[in-house]
Amino acid sequence: MALSASDIRSALSLPQSTPAPAHHRRTHPSTTKKPDGISRELYSLIGPSAPSLAAHLAKPRLRQKPNLGGGGTVKWEHRPFGNSARSDTLQLFHWVKQSDPIGDYPFAKYNVQPKSYTYSQDEYSRLLEDSEWTKEETDYLFSIVQEYDLRWYVIHDRYNFPDGPIRAIEDLKDRYYSVCRKLIRNRPWPGDESTRSQLLNSYQFDKEREKMRKNYVASLEDRTPEEIAEEEALFVELKRLEQNERKFRKERDDLLRTLLGADSGLPDIVVEEDGPAALSIEGIRKKKKGGLDIDLPPTPSNIIQLGPPVSKRPPPPKSAIYDAQHCIVRVDPPAGSSNTTKVTHVPAHLRSFKLPVPKATIAPKVAQALAELGITYSRLVMPTRDNCSQLESLLDATTALIETKKIVDRVEQDIRVLKARLGIRESESADRDPKESTPMDVDLSKEDRDGEGGGRAQSVIRGRKQLCRSISVSSIDTSTSVHTRTGTKRQKRG
Amino acid sequence: MVNYGGDEVSALVVDVGSSSVRAGYAGDDTPKAIVSSYYGYRPTAGDSDVQMGDTAGESNPEAPKPRSDAKLYLGQHGPSIWRAGMEIGHPFRDGLMSDFNPIPALISHALVDVMRTNPSEHPILVTEPAWNTSANRERMAEIMFEEFQVPAFYIANTGVLNAFAAGKGSALVVDVGHSMASITPVVDGFVLRKGLVYSALPKLVHAHAKHILANPTPVRRGIELYPHQLIATKFPVEPGAPGQFTLHEDRLAGTTDSWRSWYENREVDEWIQSVASVLDQGWNEQAAASRPPRQYEFPTGYNMYFGAERFQVGEQFFHHSPQLVAQNPNLPKNIPALLSESLRACDPDLRQVLMGNVVLTGGGSLFAGFADRLETELSRNIPHVKIHAPGNPMERRYGGWLGGSILASLGTFHQLWISREEWQEYGKAIVGQRCK
Repeated sequence: MALSASDIRSALSLPQSTPAPAHHRRTHPSTTKKPDGISRELYSLIGPSAPSLAAHLAKPRLRQKPNLGGGGTVKWEHRPFGNSARSDTLQLFHWVKQSDPIGDYPFAKYNVQPKSYTYSQDEYSRLLEDSEWTKEETDYLFSIVQEYDLRWYVIHDRYNFPDGPIRAIEDLKDRYYSVCRKLIRNRPWPGDESTRSQLLNSYQFDKEREKMRKNYVASLEDRTPEEIAEEEALFVELKRLEQNERKFRKERDDLLRTLLGADSGLPDIVVEEDGPAALSIEGIRKKKKGGLDIDLPPTPSNIIQLGPPVSKRPPPPKSAIYDAQHCIVRVDPPAGSSNTTKVTHVPAHLRSFKLPVPKATIAPKVAQALAELGITYSRLVMPTRDNCSQLESLLDATTALIETKKIVDRVEQDIRVLKARLGIRESESADRDPKESTPMDVDLSKEDRDGEGGGRAQSVIRGRKQLCRSISVSSIDTSTSVHTRTGTKRQKRG
Repeated sequence: MVNYGGDEVSALVVDVGSSSVRAGYAGDDTPKAIVSSYYGYRPTAGDSDVQMGDTAGESNPEAPKPRSDAKLYLGQHGPSIWRAGMEIGHPFRDGLMSDFNPIPALISHALVDVMRTNPSEHPILVTEPAWNTSANRERMAEIMFEEFQVPAFYIANTGVLNAFAAGKGSALVVDVGHSMASITPVVDGFVLRKGLVYSALPKLVHAHAKHILANPTPVRRGIELYPHQLIATKFPVEPGAPGQFTLHEDRLAGTTDSWRSWYENREVDEWIQSVASVLDQGWNEQAAASRPPRQYEFPTGYNMYFGAERFQVGEQFFHHSPQLVAQNPNLPKNIPALLSESLRACDPDLRQVLMGNVVLTGGGSLFAGFADRLETELSRNIPHVKIHAPGNPMERRYGGWLGGSILASLGTFHQLWISREEWQEYGKAIVGQRCK
C-alpha cells in the first residue's frame, strides 16, 4: 500500500512539509488539473492548495482489473447444426459464438456402441448348438443385448421371446457370454495369446455361482426382524468380547514390558527409551484406528510394543561389502525361533552386556576358578569383538571344566559313601548327609550340593525363574494373538 | 457449454398430467405455462357468448364428451368461471389419455396462448406415464407432427424423468399424482416394467375425504359444498354454526352436474390440502387427538375445527381398514402394498440400490406428513432406506416436467429426437423403436 507522506501528515494533522507537493506532483502530473470525483465549484474553492484533500477525493486507484474478455464484445449467432450420431438430416438450432469453428457436433462423439459379436449360420451349427436354446432365440437375445447395451436388468425386464421359456437373468447372461467365449476361442486371433485370454476372462460367467450368490442375498433379505435382532445382539456381544480381550492383552503387554525390559539384559536406561517410543507408536495407531475399529487386526505381537521390530529395518542393499567397509558385524537372531516372539528381538546393546553369564548355580565357582587364574571376567578392559569371543570361549571352557569337576566330585563322593557304608554298615548317621555341609562352600574339593537345595540357593535363581515364567506367558500370548487374527480375518471374509 | 453437457436448442417440454398441463422451455427450472387439464365446453356448438341456461339439459350424461366443433373453455378463465350450461370434461381415465379430442386444444392453449410460441419452430418433448399404451404414444406423436408441425418429437417416461430430476439414473420413483399413485423402478434410465405398479389411490383418498365432509358426525352436520360462484351473500358465523348464505338462484338452473361435482371436488381438494394430514407413526387415536385441531371455512361461511378426522384422511394412503376391504374387493392398493409388490418383482441385487434411491414426487406427495410416514413405513421393513423428497414444492409437483427440461437440454440427447423426416419415412413404428 502506497501511503504518501502527505496522507500521513493530513491524517495526523501536521503542517505540510515543503517536499510534499513535489511528491504529489509526481504522482499527479498536473496539480492544476481538476481531479475526478470533485465538483468544479468545490475545486475552485479549495484549489490546488489542499492537495491532501484532493488526494482523498480523487478517485481511488484500485488495482487494475484483469482483462478477461480480450476486448470487445463476443458475437453469438443462432446457427443450425447437424448431428453425425443421427442417421437423418435433422437440423436443430443453437446459439454459438461466431468465432467457434463449424465442425462436427461435439456431442456426437459420445455415441459409442459396445462391441458385439455376430455369428453365421455355419458357426452356429458348428459351435453354438445348445439343447436349451434355439437359434431364433439366441438371435433375439443378441439383438436385445445390443439394443440395451448390456444393461442386464433392463434386458431381463424387456426380454420377451414369443413361445420361449421363462428365462432368469443368469440364463440370459450365461448364454450370451458362453456364445461370446466360444466365438473368441474358435476364431482366428490376430493378436497374441495373452490378450486373447484376457478378453476371454472378461467374458467369464459362472452361472451356478451367481445363482448361489443371489440366493444368499435373497436369504439375507428374508430374515425376520427377530433374526436380525438376534444377529445384532450377537455382533454386539462379539465386539464386547473383543474389546475385553484387547484390554486384557494391553495390560499384559504393559506388564511384559516392565518385567522383560528390566530382565532381558538391557540396562534400565534402554528400557526407558524403549518405553515411550513404544507408547507413542501405540498412540499413533490408536489415533489412526479412531477409537473402536475392529476391522484392523490387533497388534500382531508384543514385539512391536517392545520396540521397532527387526524385520522392519530395511537391510542395506550390498550388505556383505558394506558391512566389511564399515566394520559392521551383524548379530544373527537366535536360531530356531521362526515365530516372532520375544526371543528374536535384539535391541541395540553394548557387546559386553551380552557376555554369557554362567549358570547361577555355578557362577561363584566359575568366578573363583577364574580368580585363581587371575582373570576378572566381569569387566573387560577392551571389550572388542575378538576379546569378547575369547572371554566367551574361556567362560565356556571354565563352565565345562566345572561341570566335569562336579560330576567327578559326585562320583567320588558316591564311591566314598559306598566305601563308608561298606565299612560302617550299622550306622547310617547324618555325617553322610551332604546338606549339613555349608552349601556355599567355595572349596571345590568339598562335597557338592544339589541345585534344588536350601533357601539361599533359591534366592539366587529367582531372577531366572521369573524369566522362564514370562517367556512362557509371552509364548501363550503370541499364540492367542495369532488365533484372534485368523478369527478377525474369517469374520471379514464372511 | 460442454462443461455440463448442456446444449440448448430451444426445445419445448410438455407434460400432460391428469390435473394440469405443464409446458415450458427445456433448460428452465419451472414450467412457463401451467394449465388445468379440466376444460369447460358447451354441448351445443355455436352459442358462444349468449348466456342462456336452457340448453344444459340437452347434453347426454352417458358420454360427457364435447363434439369436436364445440367451443372449449380452457385455462385460467376456463372451467373455473361459471357459465350457463357449461359442462366439465377431462381427457384422462386411470391416468391415461382416453379422449384425444381436447388434447391439441389444451396443448395449443399452453404453447400458443400462454407461452406465445410457435410450436412448429421447436422440438417438443412430451411425457407419458410409465403404463402408457403404444397406441396412445403414437397418437401423441401424430398430434405433434400433423397438427403442430413440430420439427422433432420425443416422448419420455415420467418415472425416468422424475429420477433424472432428482439427479439419479437408477431410482425407485414413488409418484403420487392427482389421480394415480405409482411406483416405478428405474435402472440406468430405463423403467423396469415388471416392477411397475400403480393404483388409483389418490382418488380413494379424495373420495374418503368427501365422504367424511358430506356425512354428519356426532359433533356436526354434513357439510354443504356449494361452489363460491353460486353463493350470492354470506355472513360470518361462529365455528360449528350453520352457514348463513343465500344462493344465486338465477345460476342454479344453468349449472350442470359435471361442473357442480368438479367444483365440489375442488373444494374437497382444498380442504385436504389445508387441513388433512397423516400421522408419522401409524394410526393412533391418542396421537391424533393430541394434535391441535385446525379451522377451515367453506365457501358457505360454515367453519369448523377439524381434529382427529383430518388424520383419518391420510391414513387411507397407507392402511385400509379390514371392513373397507371387505366392502370393496377391488380397492386400490395402498402405498406399502404397492412398494412390496414392486420390490418383489425386482432382482434381489437391485433392491438395495433401489431402496437407497427412493424418489418421492408428485403433487399428491405434498400431503402433510406423507414423506415422514413413508419413511417410517419403509424403514420398518427394510434397512438402509434413503428417501429423496425435494423440499421445494415446485420440484415435487412438476418433477416430471423438470426431468424433461433437463433431458431435452442435454447435448447428447439431440440424437434421440424423432425428426419429421423419420416420422414421414418410418411412420408410427419409429416411436416405439426410439422411445424405449
